[in-house]
Amino acid sequence: MFEQEDDIVERVVRQLRRPVSIDPALDARVMQEIADDARPDAPARRPLVRAWPWLAAAAVLAAVLIARPWTRGGDSSDVFQFVLVAPQAASVSLVGDFNDWDPARSPMRTAGGPGIWATVMQLAPGRYRYAFLVNGVEWRADPGAPSAMDDEFGTPSSVVTVGGRGRGS
Amino acid sequence: MIVAALFIAVQVTATAPDPRLERLDPETRAIVTAVVDSACNTGLPAEPLIQRALEGATKGAPGTRIVAAVRRLAADLGVAQTALGSRTTAPELEAAAAALRAGATPQLLTKLRDVRRPPLTMALSVLADLVASGVPPDSASTVVLALAPNARDADLVEFRRAVERDISLGAPPGGAAAVRALNTGIRSGYTADAAPGQPPPRPPSRP
Repeated sequence: MFEQEDDIVERVVRQLRRPVSIDPALDARVMQEIADDARPDAPARRPLVRAWPWLAAAAVLAAVLIARPWTRGGDSSDVFQFVLVAPQAASVSLVGDFNDWDPARSPMRTAGGPGIWATVMQLAPGRYRYAFLVNGVEWRADPGAPSAMDDEFGTPSSVVTVGGRGRGS
Repeated sequence: MIVAALFIAVQVTATAPDPRLERLDPETRAIVTAVVDSACNTGLPAEPLIQRALEGATKGAPGTRIVAAVRRLAADLGVAQTALGSRTTAPELEAAAAALRAGATPQLLTKLRDVRRPPLTMALSVLADLVASGVPPDSASTVVLALAPNARDADLVEFRRAVERDISLGAPPGGAAAVRALNTGIRSGYTADAAPGQPPPRPPSRP
C-alpha cells in the first residue's frame, strides 16, 4: 500500500545528493559587473525608495488576507455527487451541515433516468451529517454512505467526510 | 476613543446571536445561544453546535431535545479538545466527537494524535463509521490505531469501504475488519507471522 511513497522519497534523496555544478566563468562575470558599476559614467541604479509604496501596499494586502476570518474549510474542497433512487418521489432535497439544513438550498433533480435524483456539492474538509428530504416530509438516509450513529432527532442521517486540513470556526 | 469604539464593536459582534438560530423558538434559541457562547469562550468551534441545532429545527424536534443534543455535542467537543490539544482544527474536533460517541476513549484519541500526522479528521471519522457499520468499538479502535501511522486518507476510506462491502455480503462486522486489517499487513495484533528472518508478506493489491 505504501511502496510508492518510499520510491518517491528515495528519488528525492538521490536528487538532493547530486553535486551542484557551478559555471567556472561565474567569478569573472561577477567581478566585471562590479567594475562596470564602479565607473563614474555608469548609469545610476533605480533607487529602491521608489518601490516602497508598492511594497507597503503588498504588505497591507498580505496582512488583510492572512487576518481574514476563514470560513469552514477553504483550503482543499472536494466535489461530491449525491444520488437517491426514489421513483415515487415528486421532489427530493439534499439537506445537511453544508447548507444549514435548509431544504430550499439544495433541491435535487432527476438525472440519468426517471426516479434517479442527483445533485453535486463542493465541500471543504470536515465531517458532515446530511439526509434526503423526500416530498418535503419523509427523511431518508443515504443508502450508499455511512450512517450517523446519533440520530437524536428520531430520523436517519448519513455522514460524508472530506479529508484535508480544514480551518475555521 | 477609536480604540474604545472598536472594542465595543467587537463585543457586540461577539455576543450577537447567530441569525440562523432564529429558526428556533425563542426559549430554545436563548439556551442554545448560551451553550454556543460558552463553548466559544473555551475555544470550541461554534459551527457544529449551530448545525446540530438547525438539524433539530428542520426535523421538527422539540426544543428540549435540541438543547440536549447541542449540550451533549458541546461536551463531546470539550473532551475531544482535551484529548487532542488546543491546536486541533474544527473538522478534527467534530470527527473526534463522533468517534467518542461511537465508543472511542479519550486515551485512544491522544494515541492517534501521537502516531499520525495531522489532519486526523479522516482517521477519526473512519473509526466512527466502522462502529456505525457494526464493528465493535474495541476492534475498530485497534484497527484504526494500527493503520494510522502510515495509511493515507484514501487508504483509510478504501479500508472502510472494503469492510462495509464484506459486511453487506454477510461477513460478521468484527471479523470483516480483522480480516481486512490482516490483508493490509498491519503489525498490531492482526499481523500474520512472517517466517524467521524473512520480511513480512507484501500486502495484496486492492480489490
